[in-house]
Order: sequence, then structure tokens, then C-alpha cells
Amino acid sequence: MTSSTAERYPLVRYFFHLHRIKGWPYVVSWAHRISGVLLAGYLLFHVTTLASLRNPAAFENKMQTFAALFPIYVEWLLAVPVIFHALNGGRLLLYEVFGNRRDRLVLNWVMVLSGCYLLLLGIFMALGNQQVSPVFFWSYLALSSVLFTYMTITRLRISGASKGWKLQRISAAFLLLMIPAHMLFMHLDPALGRDAQVIIARMNNGFIKLVDLLLLIGVMFHAAYGVRGIFLDYLASPRARTVCTGVIVLVSLYFTWQGVQMIVSI
Amino acid sequence: MKTSYDLTLNIRRYDPYQNRTWVQTYQLEAGRIMRFVDLFRKINDEQDATLAWGSSCEHGQCGSCSVRINGKPMLACELLVENAVNEFGSTTFFIEPLPVASVVRDLVIDTDQAYARIDQVKPYIISPRQPAADGEAHQISPEELDRYVDATRCINCFCCSAACIASHDTFLGPNAMLAAIVRVMDPREDEKQQRLETIYSENGVYRCHSSQACSFVCPKEIDVAHFMALAKQGAITSS
Repeated sequence: MTSSTAERYPLVRYFFHLHRIKGWPYVVSWAHRISGVLLAGYLLFHVTTLASLRNPAAFENKMQTFAALFPIYVEWLLAVPVIFHALNGGRLLLYEVFGNRRDRLVLNWVMVLSGCYLLLLGIFMALGNQQVSPVFFWSYLALSSVLFTYMTITRLRISGASKGWKLQRISAAFLLLMIPAHMLFMHLDPALGRDAQVIIARMNNGFIKLVDLLLLIGVMFHAAYGVRGIFLDYLASPRARTVCTGVIVLVSLYFTWQGVQMIVSI
Repeated sequence: MKTSYDLTLNIRRYDPYQNRTWVQTYQLEAGRIMRFVDLFRKINDEQDATLAWGSSCEHGQCGSCSVRINGKPMLACELLVENAVNEFGSTTFFIEPLPVASVVRDLVIDTDQAYARIDQVKPYIISPRQPAADGEAHQISPEELDRYVDATRCINCFCCSAACIASHDTFLGPNAMLAAIVRVMDPREDEKQQRLETIYSENGVYRCHSSQACSFVCPKEIDVAHFMALAKQGAITSS
């Protein structure tokens, strides 16, 4: 589809207009923000769904709903904001923390790699027969993520920014590989994500528990700080800002506690 | 090559006495190298003397003629008709005042209100560093100057603020931040702490999301987002 053909559609035309008047990074910033809000909403739903793992029969009953073709397609669609938000977050880290100024090139790579990931995930979801050792898979991914997180922490030492802002970047560095990997892992084989006994057996491993806990805490903090940032962009009154921060902290603490209880009790 | 264009200017107007906003359409023929300030003047002379707009130097140095043309913040004194037709692919233009302060009338905004944000960061040297010896002028090495000289070219036209993804109610704005960053990077200034507190405040750098629209629209071609990123990275205090 050429750009002139694409511009027949109002939404696409609007995006092209925004690109013309404010540049691609601006359009991508909006996409990053919208995908972030979508993922924060999905995160709460995901934790609620997984909390029912304490009752395996009820969990499997719920999972039956997601075994049909349309929900699987929706799950694949969910990978669009996941991979885009992760890789574009990586681009922002390179720009803001690592001083990269070849941003246009990185932006192109974000698009190319997002496409590759979606294709790969789609193939694995269609095959649904891949075998992988969870400990090997997560050891490799966790090591890479810890390494990148450490590099980010090192770079952020001289920044005068607040601890919250720095933690947002540090959690982003940790989640950059972990979240897309989590999604990929869960779709290598339908049993990995839907069979309660398989999930419980995997989560009985101490290392997997640790990875899941870090993932939960990291993603909850990242989502809460990100959503708070959006509200603070629009709320000028200090009182409204305090109330908003309080509500976000309470909601995220509640869902974190739900998740931690589920991971620890299995 | 066309020597003139038949243009349609849809201009957002505001009458403060009746508190009424409306869009008025003007049709006019214009030469290809006429600037948008020339179009406004032509409207005043030939069609409607009541259209209010602002300008001062009309050489891209004062920033007082900034308006939004088809959504893009631009200096009306720098934009030629032919360039506008090529850039937007149209001879119809929607012209609005910048959304960074309340509108006084038509395309004129309250610059005192807009400048209040710049005033907050004190865009001047508060505590001059003493030169090495009495009677000597303070010298800045070319290497030191290279780090921030681009940022000193800001004319406070507020195009960057108007383009920014962050809200104008909460963010001091890219140009105010730039003014603060320049003084932190300036070796002649001893007082850094006040500026750093402003930069790392809730209305400061945290409201910047690196959308880089500021750099994209800057009429002086300053990479504003680069300086904002330096501030986030902590790379402005090394000198």
C-alpha cells in the first residue's frame, strides 16, 4: 500500500498529517502513550485471571474461553502494543539515557523488529508444538535483562532526576526483553499458558518464582509510574495530582499483592 | 513556474468584547515569494482592517509573529507562499493563534502570560563567576561553548511549546527548559542549584516525553530535544 493509497483512510490521513507537521517521533510518542495505557489495563485483567490459578479447575474453565480461534487472534493482536511499546521504550532509553542521536535509524529498526516478532509469534501460535526448557529459556533472558538493567543503572548514576523517574527507566530496561519473551514463551505451546497443572509445575521451581516476582513488581511499577505521568501532564492542581497519585498507588499495590500471593502460594 | 497563487485563508478569530470565536475565510491572490505576514497585511489593506495579528522585526529574530498554520507552529514572517503550498500540498490554509497563552484578539496572544514561564527559570546570570584575575574578562573555551551555543539561538517564539506532546498547563515548556539548561551549562554562571531544582521539578523535565516535536518545528533549527535529553541524562552539569 503506497502512502497516497493509505491516505484515503481518515485515521491514516490524520497520522500522515501529524507526521508532516510534527515529525514521526511525535506520532510514535502518541502511539507509545496509547499502547502503554492499553497494556496497563490488560495487566490488571491478566493478574485477576491468573489469581484464579489457586483453583486449577476454575482457571482451566476460564482458559477454555481463550482457546477459540477469535480469542487466539486477539491474543496475537495484543502482541502489537507489547512489542511496539517494548522496543520503542528501548529507543527512548537509547536516546535519553545512552545519548544516541541516530534516532531515525533506531526508529526504523523498531518497526522492522516489531514486524519480525509479530511474524515469529504468529508462526509459533499457529504451530503450537514447540518444546523449550523453562529454566534454560528464562536463565538466558533474565541474564540478558539484568545485564542491560545494570548498564542503564550505571548510565543513570550522574542524572539529577528523581528516584521514581530513574526507576521507571531501570524497570523499562529490565522489561524490554522480559515482556516480549514472556509473551513468546506462553505461546510456544498452548499447554504452557492454559494448562493449570503445567503452569503450577513450572512455578514450583524457585528460580521461575523469582523471575515471575521480578516481572510482576517491575511491570506494576512501570505501569503505575507511566499512567501517573500521563495524568500529571494534564492535572495542574497539586491536590488533584496528590489524589491521582494516591489512587494509582493503592490500585497498583492491591494488584501487586494479588499477584505476589498467587506466585508465592503455588 | 507559477508567479501567483489563489489562496484561501481560514483564520480563527476572537472578539474579546463579545467573547466570540469564529473562523473567517479570506480569498486572495498572492505572489509566490510573499510571506504570510504580507498576506495578513494585504487582508488588512484590501479586505478587513479588523483582523489582528502580531509582528515586530519580520526577520525571524523576535518570534512575535508565531501562528499555527494547518496545525504546525511557524513564524509567519519566514513562511513564503510557495514554500507553504509545497509543504502542505494545498492552497487552503487554516491559521490559528498559538495555544500557549490566552488569546487577546484574533491571532494575538497574551505574551506576558507566555513569558511568565520563561521568567520562572530566570534566563539571566544570577551569580557571575569571577574571572581568574581582576580586570580580566571571563573566557569560555570553544569546546565549552560548542556544547551549548546552539541553545543560545532560541528566540522564544513558543513554536516548540505549541508543538509539544505535553500539556501547556503543566509543562514549563521546551524553550523555558532550554533557557534553564543554557545557564546551567554556561561556565560564567555560579548559581546552578536554582535552575537544577526547576529542571528536575514536576513541571520540568519529567513532563518531556522525547516526542522531539520541539526540534522538528524550531524555526532556528535548534535540536531542543537533544538538550532536554542531556538534562535527563545528567550531562549538563559536568563543566
